Amino acid sequence: MQDLLYFSQQLINGLTIGSTYALIAIGYTMVYGIIGMINFAHGEIYMIGAYTALIAITGLATLGIAWLPLVLIVALICAMIVSSSMGWAVERVAYRPVRGRHRLIPLISAIGMSIFLQNYVHLAQGSRNVGFPALIDGSFRFGSSEGFQLSLSYMQITIFITTLVCMTALSLFISRSRIGRACRAVSQDLGMANLLGIDTNRIISATFVIGAALAAVAGLLLGMYYGSVDPLFGFIAGLKAFTAAVLGGIGSIPGAMLGGLILGVAESMTSGYLSGEYKDVVAFGLLILILLFKPTGLLGKPEVEKI
Amino acid sequence: MKTSVRKLAAAVGASVALIAAGHAGAEIRIGIAGPMTGPVAQYGDMQFSGARMAIERINAAGGVMGEQLVGVEVDDVCDPKQAVTVANRLVNQGVQYVVGHLCSSSTQPASDIYEDEGILMITPASTSPQITQRGYELLFRTIGLDSMQGPVAGNFIVNQSPNRVAVIHDKQQYGEGIATAVRDTLRGAGVEVAMFEGITAGDKDFSSLVTKIKQANVDFVYYGGYHPELGLILRQARQADVSSRFMGPEGVGNKDINTIAGEAAEGLLVTLPPSFDEKEENQDLVAAFAAKGEDTSGPFVLTSYAAVQLIADGIEQAGSKDPFEVAKALRAGTFETPIGNVQFDQAGDMESFEFVVYEWHSDGSKTPVN
Repeated sequence: MQDLLYFSQQLINGLTIGSTYALIAIGYTMVYGIIGMINFAHGEIYMIGAYTALIAITGLATLGIAWLPLVLIVALICAMIVSSSMGWAVERVAYRPVRGRHRLIPLISAIGMSIFLQNYVHLAQGSRNVGFPALIDGSFRFGSSEGFQLSLSYMQITIFITTLVCMTALSLFISRSRIGRACRAVSQDLGMANLLGIDTNRIISATFVIGAALAAVAGLLLGMYYGSVDPLFGFIAGLKAFTAAVLGGIGSIPGAMLGGLILGVAESMTSGYLSGEYKDVVAFGLLILILLFKPTGLLGKPEVEKI
Repeated sequence: MKTSVRKLAAAVGASVALIAAGHAGAEIRIGIAGPMTGPVAQYGDMQFSGARMAIERINAAGGVMGEQLVGVEVDDVCDPKQAVTVANRLVNQGVQYVVGHLCSSSTQPASDIYEDEGILMITPASTSPQITQRGYELLFRTIGLDSMQGPVAGNFIVNQSPNRVAVIHDKQQYGEGIATAVRDTLRGAGVEVAMFEGITAGDKDFSSLVTKIKQANVDFVYYGGYHPELGLILRQARQADVSSRFMGPEGVGNKDINTIAGEAAEGLLVTLPPSFDEKEENQDLVAAFAAKGEDTSGPFVLTSYAAVQLIADGIEQAGSKDPFEVAKALRAGTFETPIGNVQFDQAGDMESFEFVVYEWHSDGSKTPVN
């Protein structure tokens, strides 16, 4: 009985962390799907989202506003606005001028952007860890065996539900809306979409904005879940989310979700049953294995050579 | 236009003269190397403020052999690669004495360079035993060793007679070193170490680890590492209703752990050097720090002060500015410093250094535990 509880607890831990990987991975995968480049600054956009949310929460607290739903919504909106404008600006400043050049050039531009943003926040916010208030506290408890109790915190539930809502909204947006259809068209053939009168620059900007907004959601959620942010906050998360995107098949939105969940569960099971030291070994080992047998990732479509 | 050119020329001339004066004039340059930025920058602050104060007070009292001390501050971000870079920078600037570095993993590679270049180094904070085990002639420290701190923590845990203990570390030289010392002490005393595991420094998610601690049903957790990770572990453990007692080394004992862990920091046990700033004979010094608005309660403030003072005393004692002579003088004598009477052994470690167990509170204060 205790073993089962322990397993379920690790599964919950893994799914929680996995769903936030998925939220961040969307940003990588959408950008790759549309312009075929990897936006390494995405992890930093996520970190900036977390900082903005924290600043908003602190600001509201000094104003004496403590009504939780209001605080959360204001923090979320602030984070999404700031992150989205960042995402938009990064594309405009660092990627658009070099678009269409050799593949390596935008890649290096992206790495530079990532270093710039990280250090900018270092300077502006200081290098220390900043505490994030635990706004959503408490948990459900289930079954108890030999002193071990399964706990599912309200925060974890919030993370699941938010991720689910965001993912559903995104899928609907991509499949039903006008911009979504244009996104799909651009991702199939940028040149042709341009010829057919789609404003591809606008669509690419929209992709960055959507990815950044989702990263901001993840920033707020994870900031609250972990309880602290620092300027390097985005680096590891970005790396993991990128891995998740590749694992699921880069360019595929359902793939990013699946990849995130698999990665999260693999990590928590490894630290739960083997040792925390092997967490990253297993996560990246898994990536290599999947890429060996399925180079396009789990749900990725093989790239058709366009003639 | 003409006048501005002339002004410029005059300014250039003046600054050249100043630089020349700086080189020719009597001054002893002391490199102060530690993290000004990065996740453990607050420890760097302690180090810098202690060293600056010592330089100021020694200069005010007439300097060393009639020469003024000048601090050359560099930032190593507590990163071994950066430590090597700044060590080379200090070499190029002709510095002959260094107070630093802070993190053991930075001190170790940097000390290779200093030893090769004939620079005397005193670390006020690095506690890894390996640092002084390489037979270096110019390396000293004004802090105790993990091999002293580990047993203090281990014996304290043994006296609480726990059933099962978990020992966690961050896989870095400092954290793993001290965690290993604690584990060995516990095993030696017959206490069951149910878990001995590393985490990745910089990680944020410790839910799996916390679940594991909970299942292992341990009543005591020792963590070897720094506060950013332990803060998160404490917070996540409290959320998961883990009731074990937590303990850590001086690397976790600073107020930043309260901003991360909040209420969960209450009751954390920390081994720290004794509060030198509460000693009667240091009250003058503490008042001088307070006058500058600086806090002396951090573990490395007075150890850094002592390091600078020892360099000054060593030079006076040797009657020479040659680092090798100064090193000999330091090994030979006993020196009175704010951290007590310092006497070095052959390796460059202090003959004795005490650690005390404190209980940490959620408001950032601490009380000694007997």
